[in-house]
Amino acid sequence: MAASTFVYSIYIRTTPEKLWDALTKPEFTRTYWCECWPDSTWEKGASWKLMIPDGRVGDSGEIVEIDKPRKLVVTWRNEFRPELHTEGYSRCTYELEAQGDMTKLIVKHEIDVEKSKLIEAVSGGWPAILSSLKSLLETGDALEATKHWPKDK
Amino acid sequence: MTEMTTESTVYVIYIAAAPEKVWTTLTSSEFTTQYFFGRSVESDWKKGSPWILRKPDGNVDVSGKVRESDPPRKLVVTWNIDWVETKLPECIVTYDIEQTGENLVRLTMTEAHPTPIPANLLEGGRKGWPMILSGLKSLLETGKPLNIPTPEPPKEI
Repeated sequence: MAASTFVYSIYIRTTPEKLWDALTKPEFTRTYWCECWPDSTWEKGASWKLMIPDGRVGDSGEIVEIDKPRKLVVTWRNEFRPELHTEGYSRCTYELEAQGDMTKLIVKHEIDVEKSKLIEAVSGGWPAILSSLKSLLETGDALEATKHWPKDK
Repeated sequence: MTEMTTESTVYVIYIAAAPEKVWTTLTSSEFTTQYFFGRSVESDWKKGSPWILRKPDGNVDVSGKVRESDPPRKLVVTWNIDWVETKLPECIVTYDIEQTGENLVRLTMTEAHPTPIPANLLEGGRKGWPMILSGLKSLLETGKPLNIPTPEPPKEI
């Protein structure tokens, strides 16, 4: 167990395939992930970046493991907040389990840094982003709060 | 030697609904039976009043007292599991319902264990709450509950 870990599960009335697309395709992520979008070729070993709408790189790393549509593991370092950037690479695991007409999504975000500021930051972010993703997939509309990049960042 | 813990379980979920609707969905059997594993609730939800979570077969699942009641913002209840032979320590469940936008609520559920419990029992809540609260969100946002089977209770108590 890493020194700092955040785990979040959420159940969504959708298929693993649709959920996978919503997590990895820019046309979806832009609607619920504050207009951010992942930039990757999605192969093991390939680079991965989460891009901010103004063109800056938000987070970066590489694809550690990919088993569409069941599991995705990436390394993840913050690129635009110095106090988070110095902690280095965290590891983020997405697991998608089909359960009847639902998919259970488990996100585990961890780093071997005690009292990690990065994990503290994502612990606040993940419930909002994933709640918004659930609303998008179940109602067709993301939550207003996560549709746009915050003006003050 | 069973490892004991006072660790809390916290689950946050954002729901496109008014705080009053979230409060009602948490406190009325009309709704709880749809997302809380078929359980109904009985209480007047006033501070000091008793409350019961009843299984579909009519037996009591959980009982306790209302510690704090501030509709539609906050509800704190004591939580005593009634169907096990060994008396388990009471835990405290808090629902914080914060309006964070127009038609947007951040619901924070905290399951606290001021009296230590066996660490393996945390698993029940860690598995159950995401199911319950994902179901509550779907019910409020889509009008349809999720089709979630009731999990088995933990084997070792």
